[in-house]
Amino acid sequence: MKEILKGALEDLKRKGVEYADARRVRRLTEILVMKNGVLETASLNESEGFGIRVLSAGAWGFSSSSELTPEKVAETADRALAIAKASAKVGDQRVVLDGQRAIVDTYENGVKEDPFEVPLADKLAILSGACDGMSRTDEVKFATASLLSWRTEKLFLSTEGSDIEQTIVETGGGIAATAMNGEDRQTRSYPASFRGDYSTAGFEFTRSLDLVGNAERTGREAAELLTADECPARNTTLILGGTQLALQVHESCGHPIELDRVFGTEASYAGTSFMTVDKLQELRYGSDIVNIVADATEPGGLGSFGYDDEGVPAQRAEIVKDGLFVGYLMSRETAPRIGLRSNGTMRADGWNRIPLIRMTNINLLPREGTLDEIIADTKDGIYMDSNKSWSIDQRRINFQFGCEFAWEIKDGKKVRLLKNPVYTGITPQFWGGCDAIAGSSEWHIWGIPSCGKGEPGQSAHVGHGVSPARFRNVEVGVRK
Amino acid sequence: MIPEKELLSLLTDALEKSPADGTELMAYGVDSSLTRFADSGIHQNVHENDHSVVARVAVGKRIGVTETNKLAPASISKAIERAVAMAKESPEEEDFPGFPETEQAPEVPSYDQATAEATPDRRAEGVATAARIAGEKNLKVSGAFRTSNASVAVVSTAGTRQHYDATDAFLSVLAIGDGGESGSQEGYAVSVDDIDIEGVTRSAVDKCVAAKNPVDLAPGEFDVILEPRATAEIMSWLSFTAFGAKEVQEGRSFMAGRIGEKVMHDSITIYDDGRDPEGVPIPFDFEGVPKKRVVMIENGVARGPVYDSLTAARDGVESTGHAGVATFRGGPGPSNLFIAAGEDDMEALLSRVKRGLLVTRFHYLNGLLDTKRALFTGMTRDGTFLIENGKMTNSVKNLRFTDSMLRAYSNVDGVTKDRQSVGGNWGGIGSVTVPAVLVRDFKFTGATEF
Repeated sequence: MKEILKGALEDLKRKGVEYADARRVRRLTEILVMKNGVLETASLNESEGFGIRVLSAGAWGFSSSSELTPEKVAETADRALAIAKASAKVGDQRVVLDGQRAIVDTYENGVKEDPFEVPLADKLAILSGACDGMSRTDEVKFATASLLSWRTEKLFLSTEGSDIEQTIVETGGGIAATAMNGEDRQTRSYPASFRGDYSTAGFEFTRSLDLVGNAERTGREAAELLTADECPARNTTLILGGTQLALQVHESCGHPIELDRVFGTEASYAGTSFMTVDKLQELRYGSDIVNIVADATEPGGLGSFGYDDEGVPAQRAEIVKDGLFVGYLMSRETAPRIGLRSNGTMRADGWNRIPLIRMTNINLLPREGTLDEIIADTKDGIYMDSNKSWSIDQRRINFQFGCEFAWEIKDGKKVRLLKNPVYTGITPQFWGGCDAIAGSSEWHIWGIPSCGKGEPGQSAHVGHGVSPARFRNVEVGVRK
Repeated sequence: MIPEKELLSLLTDALEKSPADGTELMAYGVDSSLTRFADSGIHQNVHENDHSVVARVAVGKRIGVTETNKLAPASISKAIERAVAMAKESPEEEDFPGFPETEQAPEVPSYDQATAEATPDRRAEGVATAARIAGEKNLKVSGAFRTSNASVAVVSTAGTRQHYDATDAFLSVLAIGDGGESGSQEGYAVSVDDIDIEGVTRSAVDKCVAAKNPVDLAPGEFDVILEPRATAEIMSWLSFTAFGAKEVQEGRSFMAGRIGEKVMHDSITIYDDGRDPEGVPIPFDFEGVPKKRVVMIENGVARGPVYDSLTAARDGVESTGHAGVATFRGGPGPSNLFIAAGEDDMEALLSRVKRGLLVTRFHYLNGLLDTKRALFTGMTRDGTFLIENGKMTNSVKNLRFTDSMLRAYSNVDGVTKDRQSVGGNWGGIGSVTVPAVLVRDFKFTGATEF
């Protein structure tokens, strides 16, 4: 198949295209979801196909097919070229790619235990053990446990001579206990909400989560929320735990630094960004202690890889340095528009999608101390964690998040459990109020396998390294 | 696309060779093209061609599911074998009612040849038209123009043998001015010929022109006219959190324990009718069960959810034909949802507002804050206007609302007779066809900077 795709690219070159690339992708996805001991979902999905992207007369065309035959490759290449020619008929923009060296290489992430070789019985034992543990608390009416695994094999070829093969294995899982008492319904999750935590790693990562060992506590915490007080509405000091802070970074930093979004390519759908190019090296994004990097080289990060889907090597880039906004996530097309080169962030959700600028691992760098020390250092405030709801405007300025639980803090101690907490803010003001970030002992890259973007829709696997942090003057709760 | 006879023959042959006690094969084919534009030029222009087969097998009451996009007979048989292997190791599912025995689904007008054959040049011409109209007002346009052709087939050892072809066309236009103001509109239909490119664009342009120089407005409670797309986004979320039987059975839905109770205003009737051509119809669900008309809310009273075969068996009723894809069992959901038309026109709604707001659409709606109360939050976007003494006056900067949709839809004081079909929000099959609605005292809780 590789030779057939190479032949198609040669043919496109002969037809005078400026650039073309071909990607063949095979992805296996296993989803196991157990609820109350019943295996609600047990599915194995295999998807394989190829996509050809063509740049002709300064405009893009892309076509893809799951039929891996020489005839279909030729037809798909011709269609991609025809689509590019149609694109060139509207608008006066002309795509110019940055210069990149051709790369011939292979990449595999480190895997100790192939998740697709682990017997199903072992996985079911984890799921049922976790369900049993959560259900030991009487009030828990729904105990859900999930395990997901992916293996993605990718071939990237370009008319510039790149020939890259990558195999990336990802695994993870999570549990959620829902307690009910007739009047209320509350859920607690572990290690994170919305199906847990994920990593570019083998099944050894899933085992390390110890879903069974944490199940009983999770069930108990769900029941405790039923009798907790409602989170009051007030302006206060907010401490965020790791899983919620990961989503805060995701929505208020990760998305607005996508340079394609800044240039308006998502304007009608996912929106644009307040972090416009005139603000680069100018905007005080956060306080002096806020340092954020995009790092696709971090082992285990769900946003880690060898090369992006334009064949650009994975790299680490500074985004916010000592509070100052200093960098974007960039592609070969967008970077030259601000005089820079791609930093390797283009990824596609499978063979039938074009690469878009996607978050890699967007990491808030650790400082010092621990969550307990931050709480002990807080006279009056609220600590929240575990995301429940999310919403942000289309320029990523005004946000509101809900969490599964909160604790009221008085004089350095957690004094009262609170339920249904939400907080809201304005992005630069919020990060400007950050005055404490815990150290590396509590720093963890949380894997989010469901970052949506683009039309047709694409779902990306991204990571966020964070440790708990504190923010001053935050609106908590919803005022009447 | 694979012709109907060939596809059904392929599936039936595989079914006959299955070693499972029961087998269901659902094939989904797509040939879809989408042209995206920004800054009045085309920047992404894509096409995909794919077929998948989902094999769901039963070994006794043990279930296994696999999916493959390789359609060779040997590949489908291998997928079935894998599903059987998974099923054999899985625990029994006591509630499994067996695969549904289905009646032949009646044909619905779900397919249009011109849409299936739409070319990149036709979509480019549409984009050029939108760019030209916006350019006349010195505005730029962004958006997407999609034409899709899909086929769905379901066969099973319970005797099901169903197939349909479907097309849809979707156009979204966002007009943007120099000051960053924006207005938007969209069209959605089975046929690309029914997409009114000029009308959609002029609507977006008119909004954008009116949205210039927005003023600050302190959040608070306002009477609000939710245009159809704003209402449709709320209904899409309620489809996910409330209108499916699984949501009700597991206590997440606001309808749980409240069937027969008044939950919304008399003027609100919400129903799903898979076959109604005013939306985007399909004849049967992913289990092959023909679509039934289901009224979820009747004159404000909660009547019940939509079902698939499993949730129906749990409640001792029949499936209503609303099953999702078996690979990820999220539960049944509406696919062609409607709010019954009212008697007002937009002028009548406006005339009833002394001081309030008109909302064109929302951004990043979220209905997970408290699903039992249907507590939602979200931002307005692309045209939020102050209404004073029955007239739209200023454009206002976007606002965040946080409110219970039960409270909001209990405070309705007008529903338009005109409805709009909206699709594409969730990127899959289905549509939401809704009127504009006047809601009293809608709760806005925050503001943004533009």
